[in-house]
Amino acid sequence: MKEIDFKHKMAAHCETGTVQALLNHNGLDISEAMVFGIASGIFFGYFESRNFPFPTFIVRNKPGSIRTNISKRLGVKWETKKFRNPAAGEAALDELIMKKIPTAAQVDFYYMEYMPEWIRVHINVHFVNVIGLNESRYLLSDSYHPEKALLEKETFTKARFVGGHMAPKGFIFYPVHIPENIDFEKAIRKGIKKAAHDMIRLPVPFIGVKGIRKFAKKVTGWPEKARDIDHLSHEIMKINVLLEDQGTGGAGFRFLYATFLQQASQKLNDPQLETMSKRMMEIGDHWRNISYFAAKIGKNRDLGKERLNELSAMIFDMADREEAFFSDLYKMVK
Amino acid sequence: MKEKELFVDFKPQQLVLYVEKEDGSYGQVVSGSYLAKNYLDDYFDKVKKWDKSLKEQLKKGEISPVYYYLIMQEFGEKDLASRVGISLRKLRKHFKMEHYIKMRLSLLKRYADAFDVPVASMVHFLVIGKKAAKHLTIENLDSQNPYFTITKIESGK
Repeated sequence: MKEIDFKHKMAAHCETGTVQALLNHNGLDISEAMVFGIASGIFFGYFESRNFPFPTFIVRNKPGSIRTNISKRLGVKWETKKFRNPAAGEAALDELIMKKIPTAAQVDFYYMEYMPEWIRVHINVHFVNVIGLNESRYLLSDSYHPEKALLEKETFTKARFVGGHMAPKGFIFYPVHIPENIDFEKAIRKGIKKAAHDMIRLPVPFIGVKGIRKFAKKVTGWPEKARDIDHLSHEIMKINVLLEDQGTGGAGFRFLYATFLQQASQKLNDPQLETMSKRMMEIGDHWRNISYFAAKIGKNRDLGKERLNELSAMIFDMADREEAFFSDLYKMVK
Repeated sequence: MKEKELFVDFKPQQLVLYVEKEDGSYGQVVSGSYLAKNYLDDYFDKVKKWDKSLKEQLKKGEISPVYYYLIMQEFGEKDLASRVGISLRKLRKHFKMEHYIKMRLSLLKRYADAFDVPVASMVHFLVIGKKAAKHLTIENLDSQNPYFTITKIESGK
């Protein structure tokens, strides 16, 4: 096995974890929370699309934007490649590993066979670092897995070249330039401004706090979209999965964002950001209550109109809280 | 949320959560999944029920294997159509046996690839009794012919 000397560690989220690990490996000391905040990772969007099996929501910005926003705000330059031909994609990746360059790859999460079967779903925007190989297997550093993991090359290449919504097309990336002097203050303020803007100012009815309200309104209509009570229960319990288990650091990235604000407050010596950090942690606690509530009513099949109205009211309350929070945050950095 | 309120002891599914530590700082903790620890049995019960019900419908010819896998693997219809390289309209036709049986073998193979199953599993389910499963190993062998599946069943697990 050809293995690169690479420090594997778990992270809350796959893209921030992958980007952070690559930056750390190449000499930039930065935390996952800082990567997330500078890249304006916090977000909300509610979607009813045939790309998904059921209405769903996202709690982070568009996949890929963590890397591109880090590039914009910190001046990091990435080498990126996409491929049409799987054999060419595999050969290019192998060559990089042989040159001892840890490389991030975009894959369909379903094929990450080392993960528990109950969480493996078809989602084309999972990111892992490839840090070793032999004739038949890759050695991966996956932020969601406690240890480095081995995966058959055939399986990994399949995961890189599946089609569908946001198809990876063999996408790989690694940093080629990290500036010596980074203006963190500017990067942090820009990151906050963009996140707050997207949460309260985008004129799109399903994005930001408008998206939270849309979710609150639509969730009471989910019974009409479900096949039966078990299916409805499954989808309601997935609210918990999306907020807690699908790489968010808890409470739909709100705890991670609170950590970023605290670290930003210390770095910029700005006590106002510490206050905002505490407010965000409290907001996270309320999202966490929604997670528990959704899991409980889903398990008990307690999914009548009254209970879903209760869930809806809790989500509406989050929209009010986040609108007030991000309006204040926006004023602070405007 | 405070570290001690959030931590869950569940080794099979570990994840990183951000918490308030005792000194008031926020940072990472590796914890088990709350949902998996408390509700995994419920999830498996549901999956078992869906599997049984969909297979009954398959046996009666009410649905096709495409629909079976779509539900079991929780694909979005548009996402699946794109992976297979067909229109959404065509995909929906393939949910019914009357259209499914007219499909070309090469298209059936594209479906099998999207579902990550051998092409034979698009027309055949292998059922092993609980007792027998304890003593058997079942393996799909690699073949240079992607349209031909060899399943090896051995005793003495």
